Amino acid sequence: MDEIELYVAPSSLEEAAAYLQRSAEVTILAGGTDLMPQSQGGRLKIKRTLMNIQHIPELKGITIDNGAIRIGALATITEIMQSELIRQHLPILVEACDHFASDQIRNAATLGGNVCNASPAGDMLVPLLVLDAEAELASKPNGSLTRRRMPLTEFFVGPGKTRRGPAELLTGLRIGLPPANHYARFFKFGTRPALDISAISIGIAGVLKDGALSRVRVAFGAVAPVPMRAPRTEHALEGRRLDAATIELVAGVARDEVTPIDDIRATAWYRKELIHNITRRMLAHVAQT
Amino acid sequence: MSLKHDIEFNLNGIKRRATVRVDMSALDMLREVVGLTGTKYGCGEGECGACTILVDGLSLNACLMFAVDCHGRDVVTIEGLAADAKADALRAAFVEHGAVQCGYCTPGMVVQASHLLTTHPAADAEAIKRGIEGNLCRCTGYKKIVEAIASVSQAGRQGATP
Amino acid sequence: MSIAEKTRYIQADTLIGKRIHKMDAPEKASGKTRYIHDIDLPGQLYGKILRSTRVHARIKSIDTRAARALPGVHAVITAADIVNQRPIGVAKDHMPLKTDKVRSLRDEVAAVAAESESIALEALKLIKVEYEDLPILTDPAEAIKPGATLIHPEPRLPGGQDALKPGAPVAFTGKPNNIAMRFDYCHGDVVQAEAESDVVVEDTFKLHYVTHCCMGVSGMIADFDSSGNLLMYSNTQVPFLHKREFAEYLNMDPGRIRIIQPAIGGGFGSKLDIYPFEVICVFLARAAKRPVKLVFTREEEFISSPTRQPVLLTLRSGCKTDGTLTFRTVHTLHDNGAYTSWGATTPFVMMQTFSSLYRVPNCDYHTTAVYTNNPYAGSFRGYGNLQATFAVEAHMDKLAEAIGMDTLEFRLKNAQAEGEVSGQGMEFHSCGFKECLTTAAERSDFRRKFAENVRNRNSPDPIKRGIGIASMLHVGGGAKIYPSDGCGTILKLDDFGQVTLITGASEIGQGSETVLSQLVCEELGLPMSAVTVVNNDTAITPWDVGVHASRTTFIAGNSAIGAARLAKAKVLAAAAKKFECSAEALDLRGGYVIKAASGEALIDLPRLMRNLHFSDKAELVMTTFYYEPPSMHQDKGFKGNVSAAYAWASQVVEVEVDTETGIVKMTKITAAHDVGRVLNRLGIEGQIEGGVVMGQGYALTESLIVENGVTRNPNFRDYKLVTAPEIPEIDIAFIESMDGEGPQGAKGVGEAPAICVAAATANAIYNATGVRICGLPFTPERVYRALHGKGEKLYLAPEKAA
Repeated sequence: MDEIELYVAPSSLEEAAAYLQRSAEVTILAGGTDLMPQSQGGRLKIKRTLMNIQHIPELKGITIDNGAIRIGALATITEIMQSELIRQHLPILVEACDHFASDQIRNAATLGGNVCNASPAGDMLVPLLVLDAEAELASKPNGSLTRRRMPLTEFFVGPGKTRRGPAELLTGLRIGLPPANHYARFFKFGTRPALDISAISIGIAGVLKDGALSRVRVAFGAVAPVPMRAPRTEHALEGRRLDAATIELVAGVARDEVTPIDDIRATAWYRKELIHNITRRMLAHVAQT
Repeated sequence: MSLKHDIEFNLNGIKRRATVRVDMSALDMLREVVGLTGTKYGCGEGECGACTILVDGLSLNACLMFAVDCHGRDVVTIEGLAADAKADALRAAFVEHGAVQCGYCTPGMVVQASHLLTTHPAADAEAIKRGIEGNLCRCTGYKKIVEAIASVSQAGRQGATP
Repeated sequence: MSIAEKTRYIQADTLIGKRIHKMDAPEKASGKTRYIHDIDLPGQLYGKILRSTRVHARIKSIDTRAARALPGVHAVITAADIVNQRPIGVAKDHMPLKTDKVRSLRDEVAAVAAESESIALEALKLIKVEYEDLPILTDPAEAIKPGATLIHPEPRLPGGQDALKPGAPVAFTGKPNNIAMRFDYCHGDVVQAEAESDVVVEDTFKLHYVTHCCMGVSGMIADFDSSGNLLMYSNTQVPFLHKREFAEYLNMDPGRIRIIQPAIGGGFGSKLDIYPFEVICVFLARAAKRPVKLVFTREEEFISSPTRQPVLLTLRSGCKTDGTLTFRTVHTLHDNGAYTSWGATTPFVMMQTFSSLYRVPNCDYHTTAVYTNNPYAGSFRGYGNLQATFAVEAHMDKLAEAIGMDTLEFRLKNAQAEGEVSGQGMEFHSCGFKECLTTAAERSDFRRKFAENVRNRNSPDPIKRGIGIASMLHVGGGAKIYPSDGCGTILKLDDFGQVTLITGASEIGQGSETVLSQLVCEELGLPMSAVTVVNNDTAITPWDVGVHASRTTFIAGNSAIGAARLAKAKVLAAAAKKFECSAEALDLRGGYVIKAASGEALIDLPRLMRNLHFSDKAELVMTTFYYEPPSMHQDKGFKGNVSAAYAWASQVVEVEVDTETGIVKMTKITAAHDVGRVLNRLGIEGQIEGGVVMGQGYALTESLIVENGVTRNPNFRDYKLVTAPEIPEIDIAFIESMDGEGPQGAKGVGEAPAICVAAATANAIYNATGVRICGLPFTPERVYRALHGKGEKLYLAPEKAA
């Protein structure tokens, strides 16, 4: 049986990338809020090297530069919730944080962890999608640090699967500052304010002017193998005045666009109904704004 | 043989060392290696809050934390709050308001409440309920727990020394 | 009193009705209390159980060689290693270590004792079991059909008798079909009554699996001493019954078994039966010759703990146009699971509700409990009453609507009053039923809201408000289901006026130690700080049947009062002699012996005690009392006054139903409880608040999802307990009907608050939407489907008479 043979806690990105480059048998430890229960529950086997990345300064912090906000992969949900920058520019993220698990978990869970876990129902993922977030990745393939960026829409491949390469580290999320008159709301279905795996979640964003949304972004969670953008719904919404008929039409397109499954949390039929009813409700709210 | 690792950290104000299995949770370390049983096992998955501790001033589920991650950090358990004024006020309030029945959730509740009142000294009932949403209780129905915490919060609000 | 002290007069005061702090709360709040999980014995080993990986299969072979060879393993046992293993449970159909078959996924196949938990778990992985799958039965309606695979087809031994031990109960020898138990009850003539009814309604209801979710998981420590005496650290709620039963299962003298009960992390009825893990833990200790500690993981707790009894039932009720209830006919099908535990006996309680909740002149009740390969049900707070009340109170609303009568009036018309005897023979010596109804209705402004909500059913707002009422009846003075329903107390008063209260009644978090001390202090005129309670060691405490049936305050309370009164009599007799007056002229108050008429303090109690002790005719004050309630065993027709008192409650639930999502938010519960008398106000409020939220979980959020015999949500992530932000506003009113037999007039309340929440919620949802939902829980999806005509169709096939 393969046991953990090495525990390391690198203090620089270079060091961490070097470990990943040397061997594929590395499990990354950040907040641990997902790794620990998965490992203890036998659903995930920790590889031969356990690498604690929590001491890498570059992965921390929430900063702004060049018209974009950069959230370090190690930013905790609590830090995001309390960040002045985020509250001012990206309040939809604060909304999502408020629905995330519990205070104890928010204090430890990292945005990077949430993104890399790529759960179809991941709380932070839907708002990141409607904000056009990009993933920042780093690796050290040829002895020097190489970076690349990828839109989050391309990052998620399947449940728990991302395009992060085996030797790559997610270093942060980059979100362009929203334009003027930006509207962005997030809804997570549940009977509790938080501590719920959502049956569905919805993110709607765009530029709101004269009762219509343009540069529309719509994303749904828990209704597909990955958190998904909804191009047909966006198209139906783009630039249209939000009267009752349009809202009903768009809600119908949304219902048809999603492909949820039955599981112990909800049936596919009900998820579709929720997508329809809640999209309609959210758009009615947009119309009143 | 699983890999063991030596760590050094502050536990309840005292610097100490421990040797832990690399895949061990902080909860197991506290209970089995250090021998402090006030932090409880409720679910092992971060859903019940019975294992709530403070790490670098933030409340966390010890069952979700790797023991090795305690290295270099400040860890406080319910035992470490024995001389804490705010925790004292909370304990007295829990007793006064009937917020303890079987008591199994109580240490986690007290630690979480202590953290809540540090970050939101004037938390009202709604904020308190959200603040303890990660702490399950099967006996009390939460009402008296919320009242107990609110009574300490009120005291804070009115400027009384907790 | 020294000459220098002035005459003191002690003011009359009472502890009854006051807010008394729970005595163990300070220790618990500081994290110092040691639960079973926190206790370690020197040299102890750790036990782990290998559970079945099949739902229904023959065990072809078990290979434990590799496990035995693992360093650090002290014992590996299977059924083959246990000589004369005996079956456990009320029907004796349950072998702790399974022999030839596994019948459910949690079945215990082997067990290991090792130096650490991780070694024990590693050893489990090395045990190889070969199974041969058998057809799986998960629907009792299928399992009852002729030709269905038999879950318990053990062959009969020659002569049909157990050959193990003379006088031993007959070991289970299998069944010709899958019927585990049957219950049939009737009073009156329902056929005639139905013919005379003006309105008859019938519905099928489906009550689901929920589980206790005690915050502290199950665990036990077993330790044999060098003379072969067994000590068990156990969280049992029935230590004395456990002692006797373990003796039988272990073929030991019960006198050599001792049970110590550490602080418990919740009970709620989960610890009223003997479970395989307990017996297995003892087997391991015996095999390893070392103490063995066996503790569950949370997942194990979900999978292998007993559940609440799931019930599929059809109720047929009738009434006259003037509002008189005429009859109830009930057929219920119980999924008995693979083995029989207390869930199978919930009909004892269910029939009480059908026959006696409201005045019902005619009642016919039938239960068939059928074996399946599902988890089995045990006892759980309310014990079948939640299920029965759900049906009864749905029909109270339905019948009222059918005859056009105000729903509250209909209930008041049929609610019993003091002095009545129910059709089942229950004697209502104290009864606050009507007061419960009117109080709950008034405090919640029921009538006005009810009417307003009906008017708003078709309003454009998708959020609909609803208000519903339901009542419950439960035993409140014990339940005479065992040969004795009593409790013993030993009381001693020492030289310092301190009381040691030794009671057979266990404390399971409900505050029994505090209320018993309160009753004693009230008798002896002492402060709460004067009492030490000993309640957790069968070597010391006198017999009590156990913590169940909401009996502890009533029965242990009367027992404690009995012992205290005897102590008081002794003390006053001694004081009377000393002060040359009659004992009737004296009393105990504030720690003093006083003149009853004036309150003048004559001597402080400690000094009197020392006088008594250090005198020529030395005497210590030690008293004992055994209280047996004046109830009776039911006859073979289940009739009789089974409890010394009964309790009622009415609860009004207010909801908001979001018709676009199906989310039901419980906004308020107004509860009026007939408790006889409030003793510890803090404690009783806590019981009711906790019970109400447990009922809320049963109604709205909790569901153990079992599919094809597999529990799909054995964790808190997907088994939804109510969390703090979800609780409703809770308003509690107490109706003090002052029961003549109850301690200071009090009756039991432990189970009551959980019992009618779901029933009231169903009525509230109906009030809001006009849709009646007959299955639980009211999850958003279930409610949404019902609102859109896609609700589950419930059906119970009529069974041919046996």
